[in-house]
Amino acid sequence: MSESAPSADPSTVPRVHEADAASGVDARLSRPLMISVFAIATCGLIYELLAGTIASYLLGDSVTQFSTIIGAYLFAMGVGSYLSGFVTKDLLRVFIRIEILVGLIGGLSSPVLFLAYSELNAFRFVLYGWVGLTGVLVGLEIPLLLRILKDVLPFRDLVSQVLALDYLGALAASLVFPLWLVPQLGLMRSSFVFGVLNILVAIWTCHLFRHLLKPRLLLTVQAYAVLALLLAGTWFSSELMTFSEQRLYQDRVVMARSSPYQRLVVTRGGGETRLFLDGNLQFSTLDEYRYHEALVHPGLAAVANPRRVLVLGGGDGLAVREVLRDPRVESVTLVDLDPLMTEIFRDHDELSRLNQRALRSDKLTVVNADAFVWLERRRLEGNLEGFDFIVIDFPDPRSYSLGKLYTTTFYRRLEPHLAPDAIVAIQSTSPLFARRAFWCIVETIRSVGFTVRPYHAAVPSFGEWGFVLAARQPITLADQYPPGLRFLDAISVRAMFDFPEDMKALPVEINQLNNQVLVRYHAEGWDHAAAGS
Amino acid sequence: MLRASPALVTVLGASAGLTAGGCRPGPPPVDALGAIDVSGIRGEIVGASAGLGHRLRGGDPLLGQPPTEVHDVPVVIAGGGIAGLSAGWKLARSGYDDFVLLELESTPGGNARWGQNAVSAYPWGAHYLPLPTGEATAVRELLDEMGLVVGHDADGHPRYDERHLCHTPQERLYTDDGWQPGISLAAVARPEDAGDIAAFETQIEHFRAARGADGRKAFALPMAYSSTDPSFRALDGLSMRAFMDREGWWSERLRWYVDYCCRDDYGCTLDTTSAWAGWHYFCARDDEDDVLTWPEGNGRLVRHLADAQHPQIRTRQLVYRVHASAAREQGVEIDVLDAARETTVRYRAERLIFALPRFLAPHLITGYERTRSAGFTYSPWLVANLTVDRLPRDVAWDNVLYHSPSLGYVVATHQNLRMATDASVLTYYLPLTHADPNVARQELLATPWQDWTARILADLSLAHPGIETWVRRVDIMQWGHAMVRPTPGFLWSEARQRAADSYGAVTFAHSDMSGLSLFEEAQYRGVVAAEDWLRERGHPFTSSLAT
Repeated sequence: MSESAPSADPSTVPRVHEADAASGVDARLSRPLMISVFAIATCGLIYELLAGTIASYLLGDSVTQFSTIIGAYLFAMGVGSYLSGFVTKDLLRVFIRIEILVGLIGGLSSPVLFLAYSELNAFRFVLYGWVGLTGVLVGLEIPLLLRILKDVLPFRDLVSQVLALDYLGALAASLVFPLWLVPQLGLMRSSFVFGVLNILVAIWTCHLFRHLLKPRLLLTVQAYAVLALLLAGTWFSSELMTFSEQRLYQDRVVMARSSPYQRLVVTRGGGETRLFLDGNLQFSTLDEYRYHEALVHPGLAAVANPRRVLVLGGGDGLAVREVLRDPRVESVTLVDLDPLMTEIFRDHDELSRLNQRALRSDKLTVVNADAFVWLERRRLEGNLEGFDFIVIDFPDPRSYSLGKLYTTTFYRRLEPHLAPDAIVAIQSTSPLFARRAFWCIVETIRSVGFTVRPYHAAVPSFGEWGFVLAARQPITLADQYPPGLRFLDAISVRAMFDFPEDMKALPVEINQLNNQVLVRYHAEGWDHAAAGS
Repeated sequence: MLRASPALVTVLGASAGLTAGGCRPGPPPVDALGAIDVSGIRGEIVGASAGLGHRLRGGDPLLGQPPTEVHDVPVVIAGGGIAGLSAGWKLARSGYDDFVLLELESTPGGNARWGQNAVSAYPWGAHYLPLPTGEATAVRELLDEMGLVVGHDADGHPRYDERHLCHTPQERLYTDDGWQPGISLAAVARPEDAGDIAAFETQIEHFRAARGADGRKAFALPMAYSSTDPSFRALDGLSMRAFMDREGWWSERLRWYVDYCCRDDYGCTLDTTSAWAGWHYFCARDDEDDVLTWPEGNGRLVRHLADAQHPQIRTRQLVYRVHASAAREQGVEIDVLDAARETTVRYRAERLIFALPRFLAPHLITGYERTRSAGFTYSPWLVANLTVDRLPRDVAWDNVLYHSPSLGYVVATHQNLRMATDASVLTYYLPLTHADPNVARQELLATPWQDWTARILADLSLAHPGIETWVRRVDIMQWGHAMVRPTPGFLWSEARQRAADSYGAVTFAHSDMSGLSLFEEAQYRGVVAAEDWLRERGHPFTSSLAT
């Protein structure tokens, strides 16, 4: 490959253009510039892939997102190429300045797009605007480089080498992006890292051509300033990612904390406060009273003398709040796996107001333990003073580890902890959206020897929701409920035990540790509901 | 849909195996070593006390002198694997305590031994027990005694405690398409395999239902209850591959699956497994795929068996010579190196239950001809326990890799009911089936920890790139003679069938007498030996065995 003197072939001798004649680039430096072609091409495609991935991630429908992003990006590159014709002097300086800008714009693409999604209504406008801007700048680069190098290389070699390296860079990007960047660095850090790479190319170019760039203080300062910004971004990318994800929630994030078990996010907006665990809505203050009244009172009121109460799960204290409405209750034991959960709902001013300071009640004992393990330990310790009423408020059986809490083994392990006339109330997912899952829970409880009475209530945030009462003896519903309820009364409770046609029982298998059919029923039900919506 | 029949995953007796036939690779090559950095990983080769055993050969001066002590005891059981422990269990449960059980290692259990670290208990070999067949009456008795039977269904079949039945998700398989749930033909098959698979399944159903002229099942477990019909036994003359060739089953994925099953249960390949043994795997157990398992694997069964006979068990005892003759009335003398006290002891007994692998018999028993152990070959296995900081996402109990000479790994904490498990122990099984057992055994023993660890991690990194960053420890057990090999012709050979014959006052008890290294076989042989003694002695007992 020739990189020495211009070829003798007259057809390849570049026409000397007045404005370009001053570039003064020396043939020895063409190799470093070729390397920067490769780097630029890689960075360019990475920005495009980042935009496509983020758009698919946030908007769904990856085919549409990738097609339109690629189209917009290529078109913008065309615009950039065209615009390069208007650059008539100081080619090298303009090239380096564009490099710096590409680094800045491309490097910031992930944070900008994530934030735009959560903060602005016009996400698509920002998305295509940003993609367009990146494309224009990237489109400017190669034509400018060609012109810078045209004096030192025969045109034939120039075009073949520059374009070959350009495409090679694209290949490198397309391989490294899915195989290494996304799994190892993540979207946020990848964006910053490639911005940094762009800037380093700019700084290096600046250094190589220092004899041609006088004065260059401003250029250098700009490059280093952007470099510092991007390095800081790289350093803090996990924090930024967390921050942006929080912003993905509709409303203002009041609190976001991580425990070894889950990520807790509390948001507020439009007059309601919501709790999300690992992104799943747990309650909204708008209608949580419906859920918790329905979970607690039909069972609690039906117990003749509920002195001792056990709550499993429900570390938000909202079920405990309902339990404490009943003056007959003398003591409540709350068992929740996550200390963070019970701690923030006890100590945080605003959150503890939601449960009316239930977690600070003198009647309450909080135990942070795994319910499965705690029940067995309590039995082995011989501590078998039974509970008169038990509330089970576990997360839905979304995974095999949660599914274990709905198996025959779990209900058998629970049984010794019941006082003679005790009643158990169990949250049991939606009988409308996950009908088989709901009836599977009902039948599983029945199969270990309990009397069951399934019921349901409408909770707008969740949809139609299901519960099960279980006891050793037949259950008779109460005629009286504690004062101050906003949702339940004796008449509406009776209606809850009637299941209309679309929620009626279906044949189901029993959920056991060695089949975990419930997890499958639950996934099928909710997938179907999601597909239909 | 064919789901590996019952035993799919197992390896009861010990665990070791070989792959041949050129259809699969050997262990990951050493040149993979450069790719994996094991410098941050700790661990060691733990051992089957090969060192102690080698004092036999090394001409230890202590062993040349007459034993220092002499004890008289009616019955000695040599070997504390499942067979020896089961013999002792049957004696003790029958109220007969006049015996000692001599075990070379510091804990009994043989292939079902287990380990324990701060994270979990974990198996060193056999790690599960399929639900017993109707004829495995002694296994049912044992499980009932352990409190694992919680009731019976309408048909009188026992219901087992679901806490100890393997929890969902049980299995998954890693192929070119990534992980998929289940290990079954359906999981690997493509449309073009359907014909062969359907034929294979029909054959399974046929053999499951088949009865000989003697009214017995074609394939029973324990295998001694199988039909003696020549038409079934003739299968032993063929290799599993030859059988499949004969039927014209060429599906590569079907063959992978059958080969995997042979490696898993026998440490043998399609070529080195007899068709009788292969079909026994698929057809002897009922059509139910539940298995019992525990963090320590079959160590749970070992603990129960050992509890029945604690006073009788002596560990770190090397049997180095057995004086016996063909005349039973002359009794037997067993010379033992007591490594715990560095002294030698002679036991004068009326009966020796020799519960050691048969290849040792000619070395230890005076006058026992080498020809009587001819045909007994054993596959070498490597078992590694990997202590990990976290579990892979969606991990199952048994995790199998399609493109691997290993059988994949099992998760020790799988039966844990807690919600949060971060750290765990993965038990990795590698039957060395790529070469002749003697060659593979040399390789197994000669390869240092460093290299084995790099090979294991290279193998697993197929499915788990970067695994070396979340593995803390790798502890390795080298099982030189892990499993007897049911090679073509062996099971119904005269040598194997005559292996049950006693030699004077020495009777034998080991799974290798069945040619199948399975818990059921080892236990059966042990119980037979114990009942034989009780009967001869006139000691009252209720038989644990089906007639």
